[in-house]
Amino acid sequence: MDFSTSDKDLWKQIYNTKDLLHCFNCSTCLSGCPASHGDPPLLVRNLARMVVFGLEEDLLNDDTPWACVSCSRCEEMCPMDVKPFEMILAIRKWQTSNDETRVPTAIVEIYKRGYTQAVGANTELRTSLGLPELQTITKMPEMLKLYQEMLMKTPVVSENDYMFNEE
Amino acid sequence: MELCLFLGCNTPAIRPDVERAIRATMPELGVDIADVEGYVCCPAFGSFPSTDDDSYLASSGWNLSIAEAKGLDIMVQCGSCYSSLRMGRDHLAHDEVKLARVNELIELTGRKLECKTRVRHISEILYNEVGAEKIFKTIKKSLNGLHGVIQYPCHTLFPSEIVGFEESPREPKALRLLTEALGATVDHYSRELQCCGGAGGFSKSSPAEATEFAKSKLDAIIEETKADFIVVSCITCLMYLDNIQKKLNEAEGAGKYKIPVFDYNQLLALCMGFDPKQVASICTVPRTSVIDKIIAG
Ligand code: SF4
Ligand code: SF4
Ligand code: SF4
Ligand code: SF4
Repeated sequence: MDFSTSDKDLWKQIYNTKDLLHCFNCSTCLSGCPASHGDPPLLVRNLARMVVFGLEEDLLNDDTPWACVSCSRCEEMCPMDVKPFEMILAIRKWQTSNDETRVPTAIVEIYKRGYTQAVGANTELRTSLGLPELQTITKMPEMLKLYQEMLMKTPVVSENDYMFNEE
Repeated sequence: MELCLFLGCNTPAIRPDVERAIRATMPELGVDIADVEGYVCCPAFGSFPSTDDDSYLASSGWNLSIAEAKGLDIMVQCGSCYSSLRMGRDHLAHDEVKLARVNELIELTGRKLECKTRVRHISEILYNEVGAEKIFKTIKKSLNGLHGVIQYPCHTLFPSEIVGFEESPREPKALRLLTEALGATVDHYSRELQCCGGAGGFSKSSPAEATEFAKSKLDAIIEETKADFIVVSCITCLMYLDNIQKKLNEAEGAGKYKIPVFDYNQLLALCMGFDPKQVASICTVPRTSVIDKIIAG
């Protein structure tokens, strides 16, 4: 690893909590982590080191934080209260704000219709199961507009607004 | 009691029979259901919680404030929705600055958030509010003679400080006791507390490894138990453990993986005598072996 270009204060930008500095590399966060079985593996311990050492380039290009399934086992088991799952989310936030290609496509879906799926579109199936019609936000255009207006005031949407504008 | 049912995206869109089972069973047990009209995605961890706090917490606040305006707590089945909403609420309840910011953002709805509404998982409601005994006394049919195993949704266990409700997150028991109340024998197995691996990016970025990971769990169930079915209480666990078995059979070509997977409320609905076509019809692994036995009594 090349430390010559490392930024010693990077952790303050990414995950500004002293708890991170208490990480002692014990690897508890890896045992039980499903994504540690991936290729490449998600190694929470290594990510914690990379943040503390300030390896900016490597971190920016690392895809593994996105393999996390959010099970929060690492959060539960970490003996030093690093809150590794919070750290994973923090790394993703930092990557996203520095690299627009990281913006998850799911948020464009959610912006457009309120959901990741076409909720409420399966009327026939729902009726056959004896289910009521759902009051989804997709069916409430004025509400959806308010939701979009609200999101426009948040960083990820306002800074990448071209992704959200209807064609 | 009355609770707002937060449905999320996958249940109403892909597995609405689970929604039907929830709507059918809870009122029979004294839990009336209100809807969260105009709700939005929880939001899923891979969406706004991965981009910035404003958009994450504003979406949580959007949902929480609809229930709060009705003066009701929220009940959730989907593990990720439960965890996302509950963590979002926790951030807001303990940070005045964040709460003030969210109130600024949702002001255009005319709603205000005070974080009075609590977020509760459906298995916790069934266990703590309804109780196994009432369930046992309400059902007309039972799972007598059948063996089941439990998939505990990790999103309801960890981090126990924020989302937990079990006496010990290392030794959860709510779903086991609830399943035993239906008359089933619950078998334990070595990988009981292993995640299914189905949520988030893992199964998309490493499909082969994720399949292998799920296989290790299913193999343990097949080798170590007499399981006739798997019980879950999370829509992602349900879809993943059900669908992955087909994928494994295609790879191995032997039809070895055929354990039906049920959401707890589906088993409950079947034991209450509701129509299987309405409450338990959507699945990949056929459920007839279990459903026929319940109907035959
Ligand atoms: S469990 Fe905590 S202390 Fe141990 S390596 Fe992981 S983050 Fe560091
Ligand atoms: S929360 Fe993410 S990083 Fe932590 S154990 Fe689960 S999958 Fe691994
Ligand atoms: S967790 Fe999944 S199902 Fe639940 S609301 Fe979010 S995206 Fe939809
Ligand atoms: S077992 Fe999988 S689907 Fe179920 S709660 Fe855990 S991560 Fe979510």
